Formats: sequence, structure tokens, C-alpha cells
Amino acid sequence: MNDTPSPQAVAAMRRLTSSFFKKGLLMALASGIIYGLFSVFVSQGMAVGPWADWYGDNTSMLSVFVLIYVLGLLGSGLNDLISAIWMTGNATVKGKFMDFLRCFKSKPGLVMIVCALIGGPIANGAYIVALSTAGPMAAPITALCPAIGAIIGRVAFKQELNARMVIGILICLIAAVVVGSAGITDVDASPNFLLGMIIALVAAFGWGIEGAVAGYGTTLIDYEISVSIRQTASGIITLFVVVPVLCVIAGNIGLWGSLVGQVVSSPMSMTFFIAAGLCAGFSFALWYKGNSMTGAALGMACNGTYSFFVPLFSWLILGLILGKDGFALAPIQWLAAVVMVIGIFLIAVNPLDFFKKKQELEA
Amino acid sequence: MLPMNYAILKLFADGKTYDADKVMVELKPKYANFRAFKKPSIVESLMAAEKNGLLEQASFDLDDLDELHVYYRATDYGKDMINQYIR
Repeated sequence: MNDTPSPQAVAAMRRLTSSFFKKGLLMALASGIIYGLFSVFVSQGMAVGPWADWYGDNTSMLSVFVLIYVLGLLGSGLNDLISAIWMTGNATVKGKFMDFLRCFKSKPGLVMIVCALIGGPIANGAYIVALSTAGPMAAPITALCPAIGAIIGRVAFKQELNARMVIGILICLIAAVVVGSAGITDVDASPNFLLGMIIALVAAFGWGIEGAVAGYGTTLIDYEISVSIRQTASGIITLFVVVPVLCVIAGNIGLWGSLVGQVVSSPMSMTFFIAAGLCAGFSFALWYKGNSMTGAALGMACNGTYSFFVPLFSWLILGLILGKDGFALAPIQWLAAVVMVIGIFLIAVNPLDFFKKKQELEA
Repeated sequence: MLPMNYAILKLFADGKTYDADKVMVELKPKYANFRAFKKPSIVESLMAAEKNGLLEQASFDLDDLDELHVYYRATDYGKDMINQYIR
């Protein structure tokens, strides 16, 4: 082979690079869309069966602590464990089970487990605490996670982050905050509000760290194995360590078996959890893979579109299909979705390149 | 035995250049029976490693059958990462 590639080789190389980039972009976007579906299924799973009574009439007389913290993390842990079964099954069908075991015991596998703990029980727990102390305004604060992920990608992994990309990330951040805060009218001005917002930042940092580090880790570990490790570690630790500890704090360790037993014996709730686990698994897998193919800045901004897809699928499934009220999207949310696309476009492509190409063609 | 993705990257720790076909030749004795041992997935692994700074392009060209061959080598940072994380 010659040192100087032929023009045909250069063209073939451009096609290969372009298709790799487009595939990464589509995977990261798909992760945001599927996360929207996951969110609807998990919230529905936590609204039917025994959950309907716990969050409704509460005939079991559960305390406020149990209702907020124990049930919140029970739902999160159960979802992750079911997701782990789906994803490990998927890896096994594709002949990757032995590699899953080998990776679990390796150094990058250990990093993935730490990511799972940061993004799983720590960030999810912080998010639940933030919502309960600061109210719904805590939710849009977590939209900071793509920006945090991009900064970590730049500092820790020397990934590209120029002024144009920063502007794109800021546009996405503003759009996500607009989508998340639309309809919130009763902002709690209590002293707990600021504390709740700070705790919401912990969640944003947790998910930002997870996206950047796990995305980079997917360069070393196959993405379907990465997500199997993530969900297995997060599911087991949340469900079998964090929730029992919270039950002890609540003064009744026996509560753990009772709550888990009631949920897993509810076919209606479990149907939604099984669907949620499947969506969560594929969403995380595509998130990690998309980040490794496009870089944390672009990958996380694409994944961040979940802040639009969550209310969109809530409206489509809960509002239009199940006929529940209160899920219609406000015009400002549609507008913010368009702004988000502009932000992603700006991170992905330099608009000046289009003008340069046009000038080259005209010359 | 190393996971397949680790084995792909570990090859580059010797400082030599490889394309996907050469990687497959080197790994065939141990990994030929892996269902993921396919050229497109190996090409994707190499490109993701390049995107994340572990590998860099050494050269590329078309062969007589007009098939593209992209050769990569480990960056200094990549060698450090590979030797530190893959044992």
C-alpha cells in the first residue's frame, strides 16, 4: 500500500467515518426516546396494584418516610434488577455471557460497578430526596447532567469541547429546563427549597459522571456487557442493601419482605415493570454506546432529549391511550423541543462548514 | 482468557499497526467461535477506540478488491490506559 491514499480511498474513508458518526448519533437519540417510554412504564408500574393503595388510601398505614424514600428506591431497584435480567439474557443470546463474567471481575468492570452505584442508588436516591424537599422544580435542575458529562469528558478524557459545542449545550440546557418546568406554579419557598436544589445537583452530577465515565468505559467493554454489569450492580445493591437499610431506619426490617412480596405478586404492576426494565436496559446501552461513538458532549445532549420525550410519551400513552387528564403538552414544550434540536445540531456540526462546502462547489 | 474487546485493544500495546483484518487473523485462534467475532463489530471497536483517543490512524487505502483498510496504532495515552486497565 502507498503512503498517500488514493482519492477513491479518501472518499471511502469519508463514507466510513460519516456512517460511524451517524450511527452513534442515532443510537444516542434512540436512548433519549426509549428513556421516555421507560419513564412512562415505570411510573405506571408504581401507580397500580399495591402502589395504588400505598400512594392512595394507604390502608397499610405506611409512614411518610416509607412512602417517599423506601418506595421510591424499591421501584428504582426493582426496575434495575428486572433490566439486568433482560440485558444479561440479551448478552447471553448473543454469546457474550462468559465475557460478561470475565469483565465483571476486571478493573474496567469495577469502574463500571462504581458508575452504577453513582448513577443508580446515589443519583436516584438524591433525585427522590430533592423532589421531596424542593418539589417539582428539582426535576429541571437535573437537566444539567449533559453539561456536567461534557465537562468531565473534556477534563478527564481529553474529548473535544469547543465554544460552538458549549453554546449548543447551553441551548439544550435552557430548552430542557423550559420543558421540565412548564406547568410548575407552586414553587416552595421554604428553607428546604435551597437544600433540595443542592441535592438535585448531586443527582445531576451523578448522572453526568455516569454518562461520561461509562461512555468512555464502553471503549474498553462491549456496550451490551457494560449495561448488564451496570444494571446487575445497581439492581442488587439498591434492592438488597439500600432498601433493607432504609427499612431498618424506618424501624421495621420485616417491611422489606412484605413490600417486595406484594409488588412481585401483582401481575398488573409487574407487567409494567417488565416493560420498563426492557426499555431502561436498551436506553442505557444505547446511551453508553452513543457516548463512546460521538463523545460525551454530543452523546449526552442527544440522550438529554428524554426531557422532551418523557412528557411526550406521557401524553401519548397516559393521556391519549389510557385517557388520563393533565398530560397534554403546552405549546412552549413543543417550541423547546425544536430549540433542543437546534442545540444538538450546533454541537454536532459546524454551520460554517456548510457555507465552506457551498463555496467549494461554486468555485 | 481476556474478554474479546480487551484482547482487540491489548494487541495494540506492542506498538505495531493493525487493521480489522489483521486483528481478526491475530485473534482467530482463540476467538473464532465467538458470535461477536465479525469484521463490522471489530471495525466499530477500533473506530470507537480512535474517537476516545486510545488509538490513532496510521494509514488507510483500498485493496485490489476496492475494500477499505484502515490501520491504527495505540497513542501514548492509549498504551498507558491499555496496560493499566487490561491485564
